[in-house]
Amino acid sequence: MSFIESGIEHLGKVIKTGYVQWESASENGFFQRLDARIKVLFLIFFIVIVSLKRELLPEIAIAFFVFGLTFASRLNILNFYGRVLFLGFVFGFLIALPSAFNVITKGDIILPLIHFSKPYDLWIYHIPATIGITGEGISVVAMLTLRVINSVSLSFLVLYTTPFADIIRALKVLKVPDAVLMIITLTYKYIFIFAKTIEDMYLAKKSRTASGVSSKDARRWVAGRIAFMFKKSRQRCEDVFNAMIARGFSDTVMLYGFKKMNKLDAAAGFALFSAGIIFLWI
Amino acid sequence: MENIIRVENVSYKYYGKIPAIEDVSLSIKEGERFAVIGANGSGKSTLLQIMNGLIYPSSGRVFFRDKEVSEKTLKDKGLLKFFRGGVGYVFQDSDVQLFCPNVLDELLYGPLQLGISEGEALDRAHEVMQMLNIENLRDRPSYMLSGGEKKRVAIGSVLTINPEVMLFDEPTNGLDPRTQCFLVELLFALGEAGKTIVIATHDLSLVDELHCSVAVLSEEHRLEKTGSAEDILKDEELLLKVNLVHEHMHCHGPSAHRHIHSHYLFHKH
Repeated sequence: MSFIESGIEHLGKVIKTGYVQWESASENGFFQRLDARIKVLFLIFFIVIVSLKRELLPEIAIAFFVFGLTFASRLNILNFYGRVLFLGFVFGFLIALPSAFNVITKGDIILPLIHFSKPYDLWIYHIPATIGITGEGISVVAMLTLRVINSVSLSFLVLYTTPFADIIRALKVLKVPDAVLMIITLTYKYIFIFAKTIEDMYLAKKSRTASGVSSKDARRWVAGRIAFMFKKSRQRCEDVFNAMIARGFSDTVMLYGFKKMNKLDAAAGFALFSAGIIFLWI
Repeated sequence: MENIIRVENVSYKYYGKIPAIEDVSLSIKEGERFAVIGANGSGKSTLLQIMNGLIYPSSGRVFFRDKEVSEKTLKDKGLLKFFRGGVGYVFQDSDVQLFCPNVLDELLYGPLQLGISEGEALDRAHEVMQMLNIENLRDRPSYMLSGGEKKRVAIGSVLTINPEVMLFDEPTNGLDPRTQCFLVELLFALGEAGKTIVIATHDLSLVDELHCSVAVLSEEHRLEKTGSAEDILKDEELLLKVNLVHEHMHCHGPSAHRHIHSHYLFHKH
């Protein structure tokens, strides 16, 4: 049953993460006070800049800039950068690591690792006599890792400082239809509700289990619960649709829009846009 | 007083086979407090859903202010708006009813769907938040609410529509005593404000407290009797027949004994 227990534990973490997101988004920091539309546009603009830059210096400058914003938003820096660096390591460093070798990135070897008696040619691949890490390769790995770190930290900064409801509504700026926003909202909400149901089902089973359970039985139980959750979600879907109809839904969803932006939003929006232009220029 | 809802010989079968309601006829007057009571599975919730035009009867007819409510008639947008604006439904499970991003959105959803301007909808939402004492929950998503808070928001989401009739499905189910008390007071206040209140429940204490007109459904899904709360709650034979009272162990001070009794209006040894 250990794999079930760890799976359930993971679901519990999903719930906790949602709560932490809501808590941090309710803090009174710099980014939390900004209009969600500004933050969504800032995120898209800066992700584009991060992807366009081809030198290390501007990427490092952007990383420091995001660090400053995170600090000003009173987020838990250790927790925040723990997640960012982990994702940067897995999806940036490890994936880009082969590019450090002269087999992929040509250049001057600064750290030779393997020596062969002669170079080999296999189909379209050329394997040189000495395989090692090149200076150019290190630059490529650093560049890709920094890009991932910057993209992830920008995304987390917006996610942790904006209530989920406001992020969804801000997507209206990008002309996403209200019906799609409603679907995303419902999906997000039911992840929490069903995660709780799954946890309860598991605990109900655990409270009645006195001896060990074979892997086969455990798998059978999981399969049965998956089918149960599938049926339950279908039933819920019908119930929610009825609830929407009862409150006047006929064919189009209309969600409440945004209030007007204030001076702080306008000033911060201008400052962030200017910073983006500077990063583009350097 | 004029009948606001009329149900005529309504029957409903789930999947066209399993009977949920059998030949039920009743009428509810404007401004009345009305309870549909019955044991589990007697068809109370189904009857309420039929009254709200969420499901349509297999046979029989339903009227709201003398206008027939059916799949065919509700295709008329004008009637649909009139009906949805006139009859609100508070679901038993608040999680089903709360599907918007946060509490304010929940309160605004109904009015905006009915074409009410954003300004007026916001005014209504603030008024309802004040009335239900949920102003502090305004920006909270529904999964961050307690059971009692969810129920308040669910009621608020219907109140902002300002319907003439409010249908409550098992309103006190799963609520703590304080929230139950709040709910009873709210139902009284809504009644005083001229709303027609219809509840489906097996909670006899609620029927007793609200002192409403009552329709009793049997376990055979038929209308067994209609009458005042006092008449129905005194009718031991009827309550026994529809399985709403039964013999059970209970205490009188330090001694406990078993016999058939109700906690409301009669308690015979």
